[in-house]
Amino acid sequence: MDGNEKKLSEYIDRLNAERQPEQHGAPGDSPELERLYSTVRLVRSLREPALPKGDYPKELAAAVRSRQTGKGYQKGKKRVWLGGLAGMAAVLVIAVMLSSILPLGNVDVVHAMEEAFRGIKAYHGILEIVTSNAQGQQNLRTKLEVWADKEGRYYIRGLEGWQKDIITVNNGGSKWQVRPDRREVNVFPAFPDAYRFIFELGNEIEQAKNALSTSVVGEDTIAGRKTDVLEVTPKGGAPYRIWVDKETRLPLQKQSAMQNALQSTVTYTSINFGDVIPGELLVLEVPDGYSEIDKNPEQFVNSMTEAAEALGFAPKVPGEVPAGFDPEGVAIVPDTGLVKLYYIAGDRKAKVVVVQGKADGEFKRASTSIFAQVNGSPAEVQSPVGEEHGILRSGGQYAGIAGISSIRWRQDGYEYAVIGDAPLEQMADFAEGLVGGALEMPSTGQQSFARSAIEVPVDLEMEENEQKSVDAGHSPWRLDPVYVAQVFVSLEISPEGIVGEYPIEYEELEVIENNGAEAVVKVTDDNTPIEKVFLKRLVRQDSTGIWTVVGYDPAN
Amino acid sequence: MLRINKSKNSKQCHEASIEEICSETWEILYRYVYFKVQNREEAEDITQEAYVKALSRWQQGAVRPDNHAAYLKTTALNIIRDRWRKTKRKGAEVDLEAVNPLDIAVEGPAETSNLRMMVDDALKKLAEDQRRVIDLRIIKGFSVARTAEMMGKKESTVRVIQYRALKALADILEENSESREGPKYGW
Repeated sequence: MDGNEKKLSEYIDRLNAERQPEQHGAPGDSPELERLYSTVRLVRSLREPALPKGDYPKELAAAVRSRQTGKGYQKGKKRVWLGGLAGMAAVLVIAVMLSSILPLGNVDVVHAMEEAFRGIKAYHGILEIVTSNAQGQQNLRTKLEVWADKEGRYYIRGLEGWQKDIITVNNGGSKWQVRPDRREVNVFPAFPDAYRFIFELGNEIEQAKNALSTSVVGEDTIAGRKTDVLEVTPKGGAPYRIWVDKETRLPLQKQSAMQNALQSTVTYTSINFGDVIPGELLVLEVPDGYSEIDKNPEQFVNSMTEAAEALGFAPKVPGEVPAGFDPEGVAIVPDTGLVKLYYIAGDRKAKVVVVQGKADGEFKRASTSIFAQVNGSPAEVQSPVGEEHGILRSGGQYAGIAGISSIRWRQDGYEYAVIGDAPLEQMADFAEGLVGGALEMPSTGQQSFARSAIEVPVDLEMEENEQKSVDAGHSPWRLDPVYVAQVFVSLEISPEGIVGEYPIEYEELEVIENNGAEAVVKVTDDNTPIEKVFLKRLVRQDSTGIWTVVGYDPAN
Repeated sequence: MLRINKSKNSKQCHEASIEEICSETWEILYRYVYFKVQNREEAEDITQEAYVKALSRWQQGAVRPDNHAAYLKTTALNIIRDRWRKTKRKGAEVDLEAVNPLDIAVEGPAETSNLRMMVDDALKKLAEDQRRVIDLRIIKGFSVARTAEMMGKKESTVRVIQYRALKALADILEENSESREGPKYGW
């Protein structure tokens, strides 16, 4: 490998580990590498800084005092008064906010939005996205023309800003984007749609409905319309506000919390409602002089017979389509020899895809998945999909998309996956209907797996703080039991700290049990002092919960 | 607003003042330093050194007490410049300003926001694979192995994409920086 590529990668690793890279305190590299190091730091500045752990200001003051006087410092000096004042200020702010709450109930506003949205079929509006910085300076990022309907179809055209003249369309069958700057039309699969468009009314109402709490905090006039201001606190993430039109009872504006010194405000400066999106907007037409780049590897076929002829095997079909769903279409992926059966919910709110193909190589489950069984065979359950293995491998079509879950397993030489945005129970119905056996999820009771030989003491308060930090987007590796085990084993091998590559490779650790709340990772390298690492999700037992090492078995 | 009772001159008052100054200003200074160095270890170290240096100046009465944050930032920036210039001198005598046009001496939230927007816009101009590697490796902080697994590529391929992506990004940012009006970037 090129030495510079390796050096650059190690530099990134070092920053990711929150350690000083040797390049910051040793003889310099070439100007080109220095330039790339700068670029890494610049990109990294998009992240929220990793703040010091513990009671840093107090320890800082003690360390500074100690360096000034040449004496060691003592912990437990008097607490500063600022925390008290800040606390009082916070109480005052809360009191003011509470006093401004209007008589109209919060639930009523959310319910009214649901009812109003139920009554419309399609809408057309002009959407403006403005960012503000901490000093209140505003910048129009983009202005869009939006057409959208309740079936999930949309047409978006950039009017101003960085998306100017770019057209993005999803007509339910396929998605495409017209790029005049490149004179290209890129075609993508319609589902799952990783990026639809910002401030889609149905999504906003759904998010408000599922939020941890909502409260009406005032009234305002937006684009000449009188609105109620609703503060929404989501499950995880910072609170944000939406402005709800008093007359239509639909959202008109959304404002994010200040993050990374930036706040974005999305506003429908005009909006009207109708029955359908004009048909001509939903038809793919490649303008003269433009090239069509098909990034959709799927081809729709007319029947299962056509699919079987193209792929050389007869695909299985669920014995009975689960209640509430209808077949939507059949597609094949010739490059990978897969067939995809599409199903759609009667209310058009959910889609499920049954994927199948010939089994290839060893069946490996994603380390972050729950280890289940389908019809007695090992199965991988992910909710949401974090990693793409086996027939789900698609270059990122599914991973990381909110609300997409999957069940994957093998039987009789074939690999199957059910993937979609329906509840897991409904997806299990598809899996069971396909192979005639039940989906069995592992139990999550007290101490589900064998006990470790050696227990590792845990500071629960510290773990709770770590969880908050991960919730804010830091240290995402804490969500992966293999990565957590890798760091633990590496520190056992090199207690003085990890420099450069980890002494044990990620591939040398294997999850052998995972029920979503507890996991056991086996170390396959013989030259380590540990054979098995036992982990638990101590703070939260879902896909957002961090893993903590609670014990290990030493190697013989 | 930080207040220091200058009439008291006891050791107890001095210690309390250090605590008050650190408590009130540490975060703004730490974030400023972190923005430059992008790692906690170095940021903590430079932050501490900045206080030690600045406090000795304050005790000599060289700085107005209402100007602590600005003075701390300047002190920290000088420490970084000094450390990193030393680094270059040990090597090939490279002029830091000349090779680091992207390291911006950000003074306030407005500049920070503009810078972030600039980086954000530049990222959008990268190829899909390149943008994904930058996102997974630098913004999300995954290892090469994990990134390779998530992208279904070899680790060596990820390193190659990563190198090319950063090179392309540096070019775009420099181009944008040169076309902007106002001061050029550099420490």
